[in-house]
Amino acid sequence: MNKEILLLLSCGILLVMTGVYMLVLYRNLLRLIIGVEIVAKGVTLIFLAAGVYRQDIGFIQALLVTFIIVETVLAAIMLGLVVRAQKIYGSLDIRNLSKLKG
Amino acid sequence: MLLWVLLGLMVLLSIGCCIFKDLLYVAVSLATISVILALVLFMFSANIAGVFELSVCAGLITVLFIATVSLTKDSDQKAETRLPAYFVPLVILIFIGIDYFIIQRVMHAIPPSVVPQPSGTFQRVFWELRSADILGQIGLIGAGVFGILSLFRITAKEKKHE
Repeated sequence: MNKEILLLLSCGILLVMTGVYMLVLYRNLLRLIIGVEIVAKGVTLIFLAAGVYRQDIGFIQALLVTFIIVETVLAAIMLGLVVRAQKIYGSLDIRNLSKLKG
Repeated sequence: MLLWVLLGLMVLLSIGCCIFKDLLYVAVSLATISVILALVLFMFSANIAGVFELSVCAGLITVLFIATVSLTKDSDQKAETRLPAYFVPLVILIFIGIDYFIIQRVMHAIPPSVVPQPSGTFQRVFWELRSADILGQIGLIGAGVFGILSLFRITAKEKKHE
């Protein structure tokens, strides 16, 4: 397999793992959103690697544009929720969001 | 060589996002990751996706992040983690080991080359083959706008409180 594809793939996997690390270990809501964003960047790289491997950049670009829009809407809504949570609970620590418990 | 440098920078900045305590630095690191990703997309001739990444992810999301950081209290802007910061490089080394293992498996599992079957240009794929995606995107953007509006809406109770 082409070296460039392997490089894109390995970097994508590394970014996904770093994002998951942030999601698992951090307690600040803003950092969790940044973790999600880093995972999204890794997934974008893996998509690109798939496109280069199949030599079909046009198709991958169409998927990437959709993915970027999904990522943006997700980030916007999550940031809105963070502002709201900060207003209600006075903190961004996920341990303080006790009202979410069922 | 340039690809190595760009991807290495992306990984370093993602580690920086784990280490930096100031959320503004983290937001700027994320924006830089987006800019580098856009450059990588341009390198592989994915120009339209690159432009989207640059304008939307590096621009809009960064502005939203910085606005949210400034709207929230200073006391919340400290790195709260279950592990100390000096533990991060060790974890990243473990990740690199796992990554190497996965790549070795992928190299053996996937055939070295495929017969290229290009679907056509971006315009053809986007407007003809995947036209249903456009409806989904419009729905998503609408949902995002309504979500934000409902989150920032001031309720009658809050108005009375003010």
